[in-house]
Amino acid sequence: MSEFLIHVAAVSCLYGILALALNLQMGFSGLVNFGLIALFGCGTYGAAFAHLWGWPPLAGLALGLIFAALMGLFFARLGARMSEDYWGIATLSLAEIMRLVFTNEQALAGGAQGVSGLPVSFAGLAGQGAGLSRLALYAALLAAAFVLCQRITRSGFGMALKMMREEPQLARALGYDLGRMRAIVMVISSLMAAVAGFLYAHYLSFVGPEQLMSHETFLIWSMVIIGGIANNWGVVAGAFLMQFALAYVPFVKDWLDMPSDFVAATRLVIVGGGILAFLIWRPKGLFPERIGGSHG
Amino acid sequence: MIQFLIDTIIRALDLALIAVALSGVYSLIKFPNVALVQYAVVGAFVGMLLQQAGLPLVLALPVSAIFVGLVAVIFNVLLFERLLTEGSAIALIGSLALSMILSAVFLLAFGPAAYRFDLAVAPAMRVLGARITVHQLSTLAITVAALGGFAAILFFTRLGREMRATATNKVLASASGIDTRRVINATVFLSGVLAALGGMTLAMRGSVSIDLGTQMLLPVFAAAILGGLGNALGAIAGALVISAAETFVTNTNFGVLTGTDFLFLPASYAQTASFALLVGFLLLRPSGLFTSEVSRV
Repeated sequence: MSEFLIHVAAVSCLYGILALALNLQMGFSGLVNFGLIALFGCGTYGAAFAHLWGWPPLAGLALGLIFAALMGLFFARLGARMSEDYWGIATLSLAEIMRLVFTNEQALAGGAQGVSGLPVSFAGLAGQGAGLSRLALYAALLAAAFVLCQRITRSGFGMALKMMREEPQLARALGYDLGRMRAIVMVISSLMAAVAGFLYAHYLSFVGPEQLMSHETFLIWSMVIIGGIANNWGVVAGAFLMQFALAYVPFVKDWLDMPSDFVAATRLVIVGGGILAFLIWRPKGLFPERIGGSHG
Repeated sequence: MIQFLIDTIIRALDLALIAVALSGVYSLIKFPNVALVQYAVVGAFVGMLLQQAGLPLVLALPVSAIFVGLVAVIFNVLLFERLLTEGSAIALIGSLALSMILSAVFLLAFGPAAYRFDLAVAPAMRVLGARITVHQLSTLAITVAALGGFAAILFFTRLGREMRATATNKVLASASGIDTRRVINATVFLSGVLAALGGMTLAMRGSVSIDLGTQMLLPVFAAAILGGLGNALGAIAGALVISAAETFVTNTNFGVLTGTDFLFLPASYAQTASFALLVGFLLLRPSGLFTSEVSRV
């Protein structure tokens, strides 16, 4: 496997975890979260703070998980009284506040310059060993996240989530505590996003506020919509599909001899056009949700 | 103090037209159309191209506004009518996706540079000790005229009565013989016109670059939500509150709090102020200051 393929596959695995997290929120529970990248950012900045303060990397993971759980709880609390489109705007605003604060506060994790020089995981291994070990680790975690999501969504709790999505008033009438369910979903998926962020930070060895731009959230959204809303296989497939599609844009640019803006513009068109095309012609995505619950 | 008021009003001008457009469309089709901020950018660029092509500014402004109004109707018919059958959250995501595609078009067509209208540079005047430019005054006049025109349509014409009826109860309006689809598209057209005027007046006061839309998105939403989404004229009040907060955050010396002589927050915190106000508002009063809707469970 070439260096490049290993790289794209490794990033795809991390985005697969993020897509699973968003799918748990948006696909199964109907929580329209436009601020997912902030939860990912909890993981990356957990790693960054641990590095700045001279803590071991695993302490950074713990820090990131704590940040993410708290932020997930806050998101869920915010959602208690809002309809879904308002909540989407509120989460988008929170993610932007986080990005602006990290951009402007020089004292806080380097401001706009971010933090660089984080130790890269498995850097000691020779040749392709490092890349392949990282890929194996990320793939194993993706598999673990997948199994976790499958177990959750096939359980009685998963059925209750679907009912919250489809008929919130019926779910409440049957005695489900919607606020508690929202909080549980948000904490589980925030922890998943933070793990992906932590690994990403120790993969790029750099953490900066421009990683928290809102279009990153929409990229994850495109993976879920294209792959298939509320289908765990589908969103992982969507993550790989989108990452590989975006990774080959620079080659197309060189091949067609286009100006450098072409890359950014084409990526926007792939993400935005992919979302729109699927919403119009195939709103259930490549792999539609299986109706029928525990045997699906 | 006067300068604070003037700064607030000028900033409110940036937001008010687009926020009113957003709120007006929301009242009829119940989803916040994110792409409206991009329509504003389209309006500004088309206006500049028309001016470069030799059209005087007084003609370039309305022609571009009507063009953007038509574009808004086309997108509504081709895209949002279909997406709305899937639900308002899907339509919201679709409008985000449309904004991304428009961003890509801007990037390829105009590149990252900032553009301005070809206007005579006038020195700032002093009014009651505050600095104000001629372009700020002329755009103030355009904005007030556009908002006044919109309010007049809404409250004194047959179309406006049909718009209000459709917003209150679409099924009943339809049953009593109102062609709701036509009313909605008329409103979408007006929202495109307002958004384009918003973009062009912004460009007349300063410059426009392709990321203007993304920068305006959350302040405009904050203004519209604060005014009560769906209450078109409440959005004007929302815009004033948001701009007052932004101006306060960037123009106030916080040195007293920390015991130093000068402590000014960086200008980019202006945005943070409006977002924080928005989130706080959504927490405490999710339906905005002035609501025209009965709250849901």
